[in-house]
Amino acid sequence: MEKGSKRQIVYIGLIVFVFIVYTLKLASIQLGEVPYKKMAINNALNKITLYPSRSNIFDRKGKLMVYSTQMYDLSSFPYEINKLDTGLLCSILEIDLPTVRHLILDARIRAKKRQKNNAFNNSALFYANLSNKQFTLLRENIYRLPGFYIESRTDRQFATTSAPHALGYLGEADESLIALDDYNQPGDLVGITGIERYYEKQIRGIKGIKTVWQDRTYTERGVVKDTQFNYPSTAGPDVISSLDFDIQEYGRLLLNGKKGSIVAIEPSTGEVIAFINNPDYDPNTMVGRERAKTFKALLRDEQKPLYNRAVKGVYPPGSTFKTVMALIAMQEGVVTPETTHGCGGGYRLGSIRVGCHPHGGPLDLRGSIRISCNSYYCQVFRDIIDNPKYGDVKVGYAALEKHLRSFGLGSQLNIDLLGESRGNIPSVTQLNRRHGDRWKSSTVISLSIGQGEILLTPLQICNVAAIIANRGWYYAPHLVKKIDGFKDTSWDRKYRIKKFTTINPTYFATIIDGMSDVTKPGGTANGTGINDIEICAKTGTAQNSHGKDHSIYMAFSPKDNPKIAIAVLVENGGFGATWAAPIANLMIEKYLKPGVETSKPAMEERLKTSVIK
Amino acid sequence: MKYSPLNNNTQEKIDGLSIFLFIVLVIIGFLSISSATSDVNQEFYSLSPIAIKQLIWIGGSIVIIFTILYSNVVVIDYFTYGFYAVAILLNIAVLFLGREVSGAKSWFGFGGIGIQPSEFAKVASAMALAKYLGTYGIRFQGARNITICLLIFLLPMAIILIQNDTGSALVFLSFFLVLYREGLPGFILISAVWLMFLAICRIVSEATGISSYYGYGLLLGLGSIMVFFARKDRAVSTLITFIAVVSAAFYTIVGTVYSSILQPYQRDRIELVLGLKSDDRGLGFNLRQSKIAIGAGELWGRGYLKGTQTKMGFVPEQHTDFIFDTIGEEWGFVGATVFLLIFCGLLTRIVILAERQSTTFGRVLGYSLACVLFFHLSINIGMTIGLVPTIGIPLPFISFGGSSLWAFTLFLFTFLRVDQVRK
Repeated sequence: MEKGSKRQIVYIGLIVFVFIVYTLKLASIQLGEVPYKKMAINNALNKITLYPSRSNIFDRKGKLMVYSTQMYDLSSFPYEINKLDTGLLCSILEIDLPTVRHLILDARIRAKKRQKNNAFNNSALFYANLSNKQFTLLRENIYRLPGFYIESRTDRQFATTSAPHALGYLGEADESLIALDDYNQPGDLVGITGIERYYEKQIRGIKGIKTVWQDRTYTERGVVKDTQFNYPSTAGPDVISSLDFDIQEYGRLLLNGKKGSIVAIEPSTGEVIAFINNPDYDPNTMVGRERAKTFKALLRDEQKPLYNRAVKGVYPPGSTFKTVMALIAMQEGVVTPETTHGCGGGYRLGSIRVGCHPHGGPLDLRGSIRISCNSYYCQVFRDIIDNPKYGDVKVGYAALEKHLRSFGLGSQLNIDLLGESRGNIPSVTQLNRRHGDRWKSSTVISLSIGQGEILLTPLQICNVAAIIANRGWYYAPHLVKKIDGFKDTSWDRKYRIKKFTTINPTYFATIIDGMSDVTKPGGTANGTGINDIEICAKTGTAQNSHGKDHSIYMAFSPKDNPKIAIAVLVENGGFGATWAAPIANLMIEKYLKPGVETSKPAMEERLKTSVIK
Repeated sequence: MKYSPLNNNTQEKIDGLSIFLFIVLVIIGFLSISSATSDVNQEFYSLSPIAIKQLIWIGGSIVIIFTILYSNVVVIDYFTYGFYAVAILLNIAVLFLGREVSGAKSWFGFGGIGIQPSEFAKVASAMALAKYLGTYGIRFQGARNITICLLIFLLPMAIILIQNDTGSALVFLSFFLVLYREGLPGFILISAVWLMFLAICRIVSEATGISSYYGYGLLLGLGSIMVFFARKDRAVSTLITFIAVVSAAFYTIVGTVYSSILQPYQRDRIELVLGLKSDDRGLGFNLRQSKIAIGAGELWGRGYLKGTQTKMGFVPEQHTDFIFDTIGEEWGFVGATVFLLIFCGLLTRIVILAERQSTTFGRVLGYSLACVLFFHLSINIGMTIGLVPTIGIPLPFISFGGSSLWAFTLFLFTFLRVDQVRK
């Protein structure tokens, strides 16, 4: 018995041994480095993003242009769906097995991007934009699909299909956008172009969060009651665009069958009233499930429907540029309203010949605008840059260039769109490169009539019209008038700065008189004018090395206290008066006399139905 | 009247410390079960259906306690073999009449409740062993006695193995530990530990691809050195040679069994426990979640009813086999250590009580209780913290379930009653 009794120590020793070993092991787990607590929280909580409604966008008169729609997505924990009932999922979504595999892989990529360190517990978009039928079936069966949940998001619907390039479209945030702004998560819809992109931060609203408990099967088990985990989303504030819904639709109609752009600006504010391109696309096809498919098709389309020619397309301004030349010539003191130059069907200097159309007698300044005499402007151009006070053609040209740049040409106007082109006003360096060091005024004579190296966007042409309408100043054109209730008001600071040209305001009167003759008998756009409305305009016909000339027209109206400045460009439309002028004049009429039938129904009908091949 | 070691009616005070620790453990168990099965979003403290069930089981065990305390000890002695026979029969019957729960056929189902006879086989075997060894003139010596002793607990173990309840069957191995106190030579237990060590070494070498020749080389080298030093004593050097040869043979057998006989999933399981494999998605999920639960408790715990790992079901069997996770998660390192201290305190107390028994019956019964509880504790908690393989046995007094609670209550209080009337 003695021997047995001593063995008691062995038992107690064993108990103490286990106690010590287990306590040490517990310490290494509970007091160690591994963030088990974080992992536990990650396990049990699912933070469901509450997507806010994006801003509604209204036109300048309060008409709704773009609004948000609710859509439902199927989201998942793509690493937790190993025991997936694929048959059920396939039948609900009406897709096949390979597609399911593909979707799972996609979702895993999204989940990985979402938080690089711990992808296991990350959820990600699985299948966007469920149809009503899919949504109903899923809501009934979601408990049979552990690891999946339904998330609601907002998408877009467009009340007008006429302004896709101004309003823009949404797309899934790509890696670069996520890197730029960690607000975005893979699968989020963000503005890619247009107002949607430029004002993304204002328009998107503020996401909310609903945190739910979830169990091992990733099934929701109620909302976490702690308020720090839950806050509602905030919808984007109402955005008032400067566009005019009706004018926009009307202009789009008139541009049917033609390639080109229409831009209209309210001169006194710089607000863009109309912003139209053709070809364009139906923005309502760039929403929902069709978005990606549509986008691919549009990218491949040879008509380039995604191309925003109004701000990206650059064209020689042609004769519309003569207005600017005339103003600069007066400012430089080489021309007065009384200065006359003869023509004789063209301008000749040595081997150079610039043709002109037949017109009578020597013209004064006002007449030169009305008739759009090429010879007159060749002469004026030479007078400007060969001015003896500069002594050298390059110094003279530099003075001209400086004036041109004060019109906002050769640089971005800073409209609230991304990717705006600067156009081109050639610098002396550029001309040196192009023509060699020893060029003369006659070498670059085509610049005088808006040809050669000079390139403008339709927006810039329109802005020139606005500057003349204002007699010498402008506000940077912009598409958004007001953002309701948005706290940070600095967004439009750059649109409240008045910019002045280098031209003395008194010089504008003669030019404007000339422009007011253009639609009258004897003017280049005679017959396209509107009764009772005084339109100041200038036609242009831009030579185009690729084909038929572009038809260009810029105008503003009324003559005093102008309400609208407009530029129309119809590619390969020939004379400015043929297509661009009637379109612009009808739009002016529509804008100044809203709701009134046009006084030129035949002209309107011709424009709506004609097609330029 | 037949001789009985228990026919002494001297009334002593029943051991209050044991009862106190028992009550504390049962309360901890109830609170943990209640938390592990509670709704995550409950506004007020309310009992889950499972917690209410456990309350009923606790009520039943109170009845058992008072029945034992107020019955004559003679009765216990008198019914021991009968009780053992009934337990064996029930365990055989369950093979035919039982219902299958997760692969094991070890449950009798009566409506919503189940009874697991294997739980009662432990206490029955302990009592039978105690009674047999306590019989006048019987000691743990001689082939016949030893055979009967081993049969007493290896028979139920075999039956329970047939039930496919490996965990419960393994518990009966703890009786070898009891026999150590009754004279089983220590070298047998040491040999067992040595063989286990060899087996682990061989498995590690198989799993990691380290050549098994290192093992052979080490055995040969160590053996040779020892034989060299003991070369003058022929008996010792022969013994060392014998041990080395047996070890090498065992080492070889383990290798063969491991690589050719075990199924891949069995190998996976072993490798997982040995830390040779980390598999967070598949097999290792349970272990990983269990560690996350305990780890999430950190020093002070996440607070009562706030353990999301357990109540959200990330931890498997959170109210039965993995109930310790709730303690670890909600009460932290401090709580878990205090809990271990309480449990080990009870074990130590039982060993002390067992040793003070004047009868072999009481001593064997006490040591059986201590060893079985010790086995349960180390396997169950070791499993949750990843020190031993996942073997599904409950944590006594803590895990949900009537059979386990009643059987251990019966076990503990029978012993305490025997202790109460010791000379």
